[in-house]
Amino acid sequence: MKEKAIEKLLNPMPGSKIAAAKEFGIDLTLLARKLKLTPEQRLEELQQAMYSFDELRREAEKSRKNDRHQTST
Amino acid sequence: MIDIRPALEALAKRDVDFVIIGGVAINLHSSAYVTYDLDFCFSRKRENLKRIIEALAPFKPRLRGIPGDLPFIWDEQTLKSGTNFTFETTIGDIDMLGEVAGIGDFSNALVLSVKMKLFGFEFDVLSIEGLIKAKRAAGRTKDLLVLPELEALQESLED
Repeated sequence: MKEKAIEKLLNPMPGSKIAAAKEFGIDLTLLARKLKLTPEQRLEELQQAMYSFDELRREAEKSRKNDRHQTST
Repeated sequence: MIDIRPALEALAKRDVDFVIIGGVAINLHSSAYVTYDLDFCFSRKRENLKRIIEALAPFKPRLRGIPGDLPFIWDEQTLKSGTNFTFETTIGDIDMLGEVAGIGDFSNALVLSVKMKLFGFEFDVLSIEGLIKAKRAAGRTKDLLVLPELEALQESLED
């Protein structure tokens, strides 16, 4: 079932919803990779992504504050 | 940002009747969508409200967006007096919905859910079909943007 789904995602049939998603800009290789994982592994990846984005956001905020400080001094 | 595991484990340990919906459910179905909160649809039966209160109390829930000095009581009466809630907790944001647009209440969500095993517990997760219905009904840009991905996943898993 999973193999068939992955095959469909990686080789979308013209006119299919999968093809439409590709056209829309969805990275179907990402979906195919996620399908290989267990639900628990998918959650672990989501949690990791949250941490990473949060860290990036905090770093960006710190950098903006530093820039403002340097501009004003 | 939500710490997913402790939230789900706390609810499962208290046998709370709920269906995982929203971004976490979307992710469980293999989407690459990133979310920062946990959304779930809950049964509004009295016994279940009691279980929710006990399960989430250690995380000190408060209504999101209200000033910190305003009093808030985390009890059954509070949950009884509303349908949908957005909470901030010590482990992150949790949205609890008694009614989901395009789906209905907990019993309707349960019919449209699939079972998934996580952290040694079995959870009800809104199906791709259910998520598509909910996202279409919500109709906001951020909901509609997820539809092509969900529809592609749904089609890929069809026989």
